[in-house]
Amino acid sequence: MKHFLSVAGMFVMMTAMAACGEEDAASGSGSGEGSEGENSDEKVELTYWYAWGDKIGENNENLVEMFNESQDDIHVTAEYQGTYDELHAKTQAAFAAGDAPEVTQNEIASIGVFAKSGMTEDLTPFVEEDDINMDDFNPGLMGNSYVDEKLYGLPYLRSTPILYLNTTMLEEKGLDPSGPETWDEFEEYAEELTEEDATVGASMPINIWMYEGFVAQGNGQMVADDGESVTFNEEAGVEALDFLQGLYKTGSIKIPTGDEAGDVAKQDFINQHSGMHFSSTADLSYFMEMADEQGFELDTAFMPANDTYGVPTGGANLVMTSELEEEKQEAAWEFIKWMTSTEQTAYASEFTGYLPSRLSAIETDKIQSLYEKQPQFKVAVDQLEYARPRPMEEAYPEISNVLSDELNRAILEEDLSSQEALDGAADKANSLLQ
Amino acid sequence: MIGKKAFPYAMITPSMIVFCLFFIYPIGYMIYLSLHDWNFVSPVKDFVGLSNFTSLFSEQEFLEVMRNSLVYTVLTVTLTTGTSLGLAVWLNKQGIVYRFVQGAMFSPHIISLVSISMLWMWLMDPDYGLLNWFLGLFGLPESPWLTDPSTSLLSLVLVAVWKGIGFNALVFIAGLQSIPRDMYEAASLDDATWFRTFWKITLPMLSPTLFFLIIINVISSFQVFETIAIMTQGGPINSTNTLVFYIYEYGFNFFKIGYASAAGVLLLIVVSVMTFFYFRLLSVKVHYR
Repeated sequence: MKHFLSVAGMFVMMTAMAACGEEDAASGSGSGEGSEGENSDEKVELTYWYAWGDKIGENNENLVEMFNESQDDIHVTAEYQGTYDELHAKTQAAFAAGDAPEVTQNEIASIGVFAKSGMTEDLTPFVEEDDINMDDFNPGLMGNSYVDEKLYGLPYLRSTPILYLNTTMLEEKGLDPSGPETWDEFEEYAEELTEEDATVGASMPINIWMYEGFVAQGNGQMVADDGESVTFNEEAGVEALDFLQGLYKTGSIKIPTGDEAGDVAKQDFINQHSGMHFSSTADLSYFMEMADEQGFELDTAFMPANDTYGVPTGGANLVMTSELEEEKQEAAWEFIKWMTSTEQTAYASEFTGYLPSRLSAIETDKIQSLYEKQPQFKVAVDQLEYARPRPMEEAYPEISNVLSDELNRAILEEDLSSQEALDGAADKANSLLQ
Repeated sequence: MIGKKAFPYAMITPSMIVFCLFFIYPIGYMIYLSLHDWNFVSPVKDFVGLSNFTSLFSEQEFLEVMRNSLVYTVLTVTLTTGTSLGLAVWLNKQGIVYRFVQGAMFSPHIISLVSISMLWMWLMDPDYGLLNWFLGLFGLPESPWLTDPSTSLLSLVLVAVWKGIGFNALVFIAGLQSIPRDMYEAASLDDATWFRTFWKITLPMLSPTLFFLIIINVISSFQVFETIAIMTQGGPINSTNTLVFYIYEYGFNFFKIGYASAAGVLLLIVVSVMTFFYFRLLSVKVHYR
């Protein structure tokens, strides 16, 4: 009995201690919130998750702060979540745990996956209720917003790849600084710019997004319209890989590999080891700063044409997660509406170099004077005429993985032909689409 | 009277609750998921029987992953235990120098693996990295390190060995110091050579330590994740994709939870079998005092 009492006593003490701990924690966080604003209890609290740091992260934090100051009913907390892949994985896990953020970003190829599995909310009724003019969004950017004819995301930070040029290097070699317009010209440029052990034409890792562009330039497609099979092993895809292999064999491009390949390529361009560089328009502000520091002139151009110009679009759309209470839904919609409105679109575009996703934003004084001063910003907008949406099949992330392995293999293993490599990838991809 | 009988059970209840909640339940749930097709959020989990397992084994990529895991484990364990045993024998002496080297060697163990991965990525950068610069100083050919399929897995082994040596050597030194001096005195009276002393006295007396280190090294090597997630993401061309990263990739990037769980069940089986194997077979040969 004595033992039993002491055990019982210990349990009581432990529970009491645990309770104290909880109370402390609760009062601690309570006072923290209190200090932020007096009427914070009445505000609807929202969480917003975003990808990427640096300039892009600052842009997100700034906009959220401006939104919080612009009204008194809603308070949004912005949280950084890493790359798109990491953001998606965390959103998915949080959703399964019933703790998802109200507003988050979907990389545009993932809009389908999230919508079809019921994680994101259909925005059509909100748009209709508020009579949003959907024609104001650049039609080139709307290809990844609808799933089964319902609107699941509004274009936010959107991009296309563009060709960055170090015109100082181009002029030194006697090349036209407006840049190559076709694949043949690109090859000539790359050869001219290459000097053994010093410079290459371009430093470009194998990247599925860019590859989508090369395929589009040959009038090809990655996935058939019915979504039942892949088509990258047809003529346009093979031509694209042959083009890369050819450039690599003559040594006029460098293909960095590994997890850091993208950063290596950027560094090569900044350090003037390469004269041309394919990258997202989102990097424009960053490259302009770097070019200034390194003392070279920077210009931008369309991705060169094969049969035609062509680029994939990229970036993220804003989405609302599903299964929210009505009050939160309304608040989340207010936030999404505000973030994608003309003024904010212009702000984000100027701050980062992302595309202005609204036509009316292009007309604003802010953007017009920016294009006058720095015409490099305008190239991506003009190029949108040739833009293609990204494939949205559920299996596409896995297909990209398979394809990227095979592209790398075709580049590194000399006796593997482009057709063989792509057929191998296509076999696997097709079984994933079934 | 009831109190007396209930007392031990009451005392182990908290740890049993934690054990069941965080070990038994997840393992059970993983086995359940491995028999289903699920994308993490859909309300429906389709029962598919063993088809996740059959597709695992028919997948070329998965066989490569298993091979990578095995190669990585064998290399890491032999190199780590071998080198740290040698170092321990050398460092098992009194003196300030030996103490300093012991301390320096142990320091990687207390640094987080994430920091270590970032650090080695810089060191191994093929163009601007310190390692290639160092090789260049001696006129040796540069290595592509993480960027080429032929060297990437070895580069990761190097990092694991560098991180593991300090801890392993410390445990070995503790083991060496618990060997009674009189056995060595007897050996020297018999004019035994250094090698014979090592082979006949040190190694058998050290076998419990060796046994313990091999087990924990094998298990932790099979579960390697952080360095791969940060340094290579399984690439280039799948050359560094190992079991745990593969599970993560399929579960959280491709959202095939059933398939990933099936791979998880396999990992569980491999680790259990290895542990069992060691305990059953090797323990017969291990010399316990």
